[in-house]
Amino acid sequence: MSSLNSSSSTMGNKPTNCLDSHQQQLEDDDEETISDSFICCVCLDLLYKPIVLECGHVSCFWCVHKSMDAIHESHCPICRHPYHYFPTICEMLHFLLLKMYPLAYKRREEQILEEEKANGCFSPQLDSKEFYSSDGSRPSAVSDLASLSGIASAGKHSSKMDSNGSSASKENDLSAVNINRTYERVSSNDVLCPSCKLLLFRPAVLNCGHVYCEACIVIPEDGIIICKVCEYPHPSDRPNVCLDFNNFLEERFRKEYAAQRESVEQKQERFHHKNPSSCSGSKKSAKKVCCRPTRHGEESKPTENEHKPKVHAGAGCDYCGMYPIVGDRYQCQDCVEVMGFDLCGDCYNTRSKRPGRFNQQHTSDHRFELVKPRALPSNVMLRIVGGYLVDNSGAPVLAISAMEDPPDGWIAVESLEARQNLFNNVADLDGNPGDIMHDNGDSPDGSVEIEFSDAVEVSGHHDDDNVDQYGGEDPPF
Amino acid sequence: MTMNGGYSDNTPTATPAVVPAKQNVAASKTVDTQSVLKRLQSELMSLMMNGDPGISAFPEEDNIFSWKGTIHGSKDTVFEGTEYKLSLTFPADYPFKPPKDKWSSAYDVSTILLSIQSLLGEPNTTSPLNTQAAALWSNQEEYRKMVEKLYNKPSTT
Repeated sequence: MSSLNSSSSTMGNKPTNCLDSHQQQLEDDDEETISDSFICCVCLDLLYKPIVLECGHVSCFWCVHKSMDAIHESHCPICRHPYHYFPTICEMLHFLLLKMYPLAYKRREEQILEEEKANGCFSPQLDSKEFYSSDGSRPSAVSDLASLSGIASAGKHSSKMDSNGSSASKENDLSAVNINRTYERVSSNDVLCPSCKLLLFRPAVLNCGHVYCEACIVIPEDGIIICKVCEYPHPSDRPNVCLDFNNFLEERFRKEYAAQRESVEQKQERFHHKNPSSCSGSKKSAKKVCCRPTRHGEESKPTENEHKPKVHAGAGCDYCGMYPIVGDRYQCQDCVEVMGFDLCGDCYNTRSKRPGRFNQQHTSDHRFELVKPRALPSNVMLRIVGGYLVDNSGAPVLAISAMEDPPDGWIAVESLEARQNLFNNVADLDGNPGDIMHDNGDSPDGSVEIEFSDAVEVSGHHDDDNVDQYGGEDPPF
Repeated sequence: MTMNGGYSDNTPTATPAVVPAKQNVAASKTVDTQSVLKRLQSELMSLMMNGDPGISAFPEEDNIFSWKGTIHGSKDTVFEGTEYKLSLTFPADYPFKPPKDKWSSAYDVSTILLSIQSLLGEPNTTSPLNTQAAALWSNQEEYRKMVEKLYNKPSTT
C-alpha cells in the first residue's frame, strides 16, 4: 500500500511541477503585460540588463555583446549605426524594469544566469545602492528581487479580485490596465536627470550607462562629453534620444512630461533669440573634434610612416569598452575569469578605476602585460566550418572570403586597407567590395572546407546534437 | 574582456591551449544554440498566434534551423491566387550576425516573408534580373497571363 502510494506520487509529481511552472509563467505574463517598448528586438523577450547604444536603440547586455564584431567596428543590431565602444548597462533602465516586471525580470535573471554558468562568462552584477561594488565582491541583487517579488505577489491578489469583478472585460482592456498598473510602480524619482534634477525629458544615454535629458548633455569646447555622475569621458558623439524610454516617460508621466516639454521649448526659444545660429554650428564642430584625444589619427587617413595600429581581435577594453582594442593592449595576468581582463593603452595609462565590463574580480594590485596582437594561424586553432573561420571558442572570426590566402588573411587586418575599412567604412552602409568584414554572398572556398570537415569527421567527436549544423569539435591538430 | 576567451590565452604555441579550449567550445556552443533556439521558437510562436494570413512558415521536420515558408500572391496583383514555397535556413549565429549589409536583428521570418510578398507586387523594374519579365511588367494583363501559364501549384506535401 505504502509503495503504491509513493510510486503514484512520484509519477504524478513531475508533470504537475512542469505544469505549475508553465502556469506560473503564464500568470506572470498575464500579471505583467510587458510593453512593446521593453521587448528586446534581438531575443524577442523582456530586456535584461539593458544597454543603450549611441543611436538610442536598446538591447540586452548579451544581445549587444553577441552582435558585436570581433575585428571591426560594430553596428547596432537594429539600425546598423556603427559604434566602436561597448556601452555599460543602463542602470536606470535596469532598475526600472525590475520594478515594473519583478516576476518576468526574475525569470529572465534565472534564465540568463543559467546560460552564463554554462558559458563561464558572467555579466556585471548590479547593486541597487551602487552600480558596481568597488571591492569586487558580489553584491546581492537577490534580496532586492525577493522583496520586490513579495510586493508583486501581494499585488497579484488584488488584481485577481479585480478581474473577478470584471471578468467580461476584453483582453485588450485588460492588457492596457496591466500596462498601466506596471507603469505605476515607477515614480518620477526613479527617472530624474542627474543634471537638471527634473523628470527626464528626451533621455539620452552615455557610454557609461548614465541617462540625461538630451538638452542637459553639454558638449564642451574640446568636444569631449564628460559624464557628471561618474566623470568618465563619453568616447563618441552626442548620443541619440532613446525613443523607447522616452515613450515610456511620456506615457507614464503625462503631466510632468508636458510641463518639461513646455519649459524646454521656452528655454530653446530664448536661446535661439540670443544666439540664432549657434545650435547647428556647435553640433557640426562637435562632430569633428568629438572623439577622445587619444584616438587621434584614426578619423583622418592614416599616414604611411605612422606605425601600424594593432587590432586585437576579440579583445575589448574593460574600462572604456573599446572593442576590439586598437593600439596597445594590456592584459591582466591575475584575473582568472574566462573572459579575462584587458585595457587599451589609454585606460592603462590613466589608471582609471572603473569596474570591468563583465563581473571580473579585478583589483588594482593585479599585474598587467603588454600583449601583441596575435597572428592567427600560428597560435590560435582555427576551423573552417560552414564558410566561417572559427576560433577555438566557436566564435566566427572572419568570413571565408577574407581567407583566400589563409596565413596572410590575418595580416590583412593590420594592412592599410583594413585599417581604412575599420574606420572609414563606418558611413558606408552599402559596404564595399574590399571590405574583409563582409562575406559578400560568395560561396565559400569549397576545397578548404572539405579539408577541414574531413578532419572533423576523422576525429569522431560528433557527440553534439544534430541541430548544430556548424558543430564538430576541434579538429585534431 | 575577450570574446569567449578565444584569444585570451597568451601562450605562443597551440598545444597547451587545447585542453581548456575544448571545454569552452562545448560550453559556448550550447549557450549560443540556446539563445538562437529561443529566438526561433518565439518567432514560430508569434507566427502561429498572430501571423499574417498571406504568409506562413514552419520548421522542417525536427530541424528548427530549416523552415519551409509559404507566400500567397497579394490581392489585386497579378500574383493573386498563386502560392509560393520558400525554404529558410538559419545560421547558427542568427540573428546576431548580419548575413548581408543592411540587415537588422529586428527583421524576422514574418517581416522577411512579407517583404518578399510585397516585392512581388511592386518589383523594381529599373534594375531587373529578368529583363523580359521587367519589360512585360508594364502590361499587367499580359503579365497575369504569363503568370497563369508558368505557374505550377506547389504540392501540399
